[in-house]
Amino acid sequence: MKILIVEDERELAESIQSYLHTNDIVCEMAFNIQTALDKIAQYEYDCVLLDLMLPDGNGFEILAELKKQDKTEGVIIISAKETLESRIEGFNLGADDYLTKPFHLSELLVRIQALIRRKKFKGNNMVSYHEIQIDILSKTVKVNTKLIDLTKKEIDLLLYLIGNENKVLSKSAIAEHLSGDMADMLDNHDFVYAHIKNLKRKLSDAKSGDYIKTVYGLGYKWQND
Amino acid sequence: MTKKLLNSTLRIYLIFSVFVFVVTAPLFYIIIQKLYIEDADEVLLLRKKEFVYYSIPDIHLSDIAIWNKINRDIKIEATKTTVQTDTLFYSNIYDTLNNELELYRVLNSPISIEGRQYCFVSKISLVESYDLIQHIVLLFSVVLILLLAGLYLITKRLSLRLWKPFYHTVNQIEQFEIDKNSQVELTDTTIEEFKRLNNSITKLIERNTIIYNSQREFIENAAHELQTPLAVFQAQIDTLIQNPDITEEQFGILNKLNDSAARLNKLNKNLLLLSKIDNNQFALSQQIVLNDIINKQIDFFKEQAAAKNISIKVELSDKTIINSNPVLAEILISNLFLNAIRHNIIGGNITVNLSNKLLTFYNTGNQQPLNKDRLFKRFSKINPSSEGNGLGLAIIKKITDINHWSIQYSYQNNLHIFEVNF
Repeated sequence: MKILIVEDERELAESIQSYLHTNDIVCEMAFNIQTALDKIAQYEYDCVLLDLMLPDGNGFEILAELKKQDKTEGVIIISAKETLESRIEGFNLGADDYLTKPFHLSELLVRIQALIRRKKFKGNNMVSYHEIQIDILSKTVKVNTKLIDLTKKEIDLLLYLIGNENKVLSKSAIAEHLSGDMADMLDNHDFVYAHIKNLKRKLSDAKSGDYIKTVYGLGYKWQND
Repeated sequence: MTKKLLNSTLRIYLIFSVFVFVVTAPLFYIIIQKLYIEDADEVLLLRKKEFVYYSIPDIHLSDIAIWNKINRDIKIEATKTTVQTDTLFYSNIYDTLNNELELYRVLNSPISIEGRQYCFVSKISLVESYDLIQHIVLLFSVVLILLLAGLYLITKRLSLRLWKPFYHTVNQIEQFEIDKNSQVELTDTTIEEFKRLNNSITKLIERNTIIYNSQREFIENAAHELQTPLAVFQAQIDTLIQNPDITEEQFGILNKLNDSAARLNKLNKNLLLLSKIDNNQFALSQQIVLNDIINKQIDFFKEQAAAKNISIKVELSDKTIINSNPVLAEILISNLFLNAIRHNIIGGNITVNLSNKLLTFYNTGNQQPLNKDRLFKRFSKINPSSEGNGLGLAIIKKITDINHWSIQYSYQNNLHIFEVNF
């Protein structure tokens, strides 16, 4: 999978690159619009991460150019500025998702995966991990072809954990992911523990492997050892 | 005690009028009376002169009795020989017709008829003249009163018209609120003083609005600019915790950094939210069913509350429809929930009641009432160590303000009560 990061903040671009790198994602970076346009003209990307405030103009120019060239790259806007207008304009110009800075890299990764799934496997939205099979559209989970009963939140958590395989996830990152739009209203992250515990129990009841590891009691990790 | 400017002017006019009236009316009376007496004296002296000139040469001693019989106002008396010169005096004389004493002006004057000394006595009744004087004084008073009353009314009407631009300006300033983008429209006036006043006020407001806006922009820009370094900070922590060599202690530190980053982020977002509300970015409003918003959020907050073992009871009796921006309405409800959970105690409870356009949050918490004056101010944290950033209630207040709702806080039966009246 190949991704173009259009972001003038090098440190951030590099952090994204190093985080995505281990998940078989090849990242290229562009620190301004011109470089980004050149790269888009030359290569095909699965996804473009687009900052809006760039040194030589507004990221919307790139969106307009992609549209003009009938390119099918999925675009996730990553911007510090979040207004209803910029969101609407972004979506009108063909952006697929909008992530406001600051964000957790784990969140970015699952958003990219979801976007690629939507783009590439039109309709066939299945995520598999060994004996676990998740049907994203019908919201059902099977372990060894046997249906298990998970709540919406637990499925969400499962997808998030699998998507971030081998990554250490902090409680706050998980809490924010599970809270969605309400993340700003979080006061403590203790509820994460309950969800993890329930998910773990349901998976082990279904004779699935024990993939959820605890990291020093403060974070979690999906890992197959 | 304050008085209206116009009333103070009129009061002075009124006092002056009364003063003029009280002083001049008796003065006028006295002067008229004096003039009249002088006039009467002249008439009496003239009578005597005429008598001496015309009558004495023809009069004989034998005629005196007849004279006195015919004339009532001029008598020739023999008795008053003590009178040496013309003597004028007042005298009350009994009037048999009217059966009462009447005041007369009397002249006693020595005359000589055929070599014998007599006293010339002439009198004029002052009763009629007093009536006249009284009428004149009355008339004068009426004219004076009319004059003063007219002056009063004219001043009043004129002042009202003259001061109209002033009152208009005052009304405009009273309605002006710098944080609500309200405009002050001062009417044009031809009066120089008001023109100056209006110009100064317009300038003052413009300058203040500019300062206010730049301050607002500063907050907004500062918050926006902070987002990027925060994003780098967050991303670096996310990257760092992937390092397999990290010890438990280091992981703990990173976790705390993570939490701080989240708090900074929340603070920043709240500041941005406040300036967005100030910038009228949530001006669009529509009809919203409040019950739906509460029901939508209740699961999230029940989960949050469960972590502190707090139970939430929701009583939504009526379907309440409000007019508001939907985003703001959601933020209002979520902040109320958050506030009730955050400042609660372990094992406490929250009751949410919605009826008659009244939304009430009751929650347990610290067993002392909060400071009502500071409660809704930005960064006025009740408990400095608490997780909150001191903006939640300021946001709640702001949202109720711009929607023209009211919010009240009270503390009853060990419960903190927040009440929003839609």
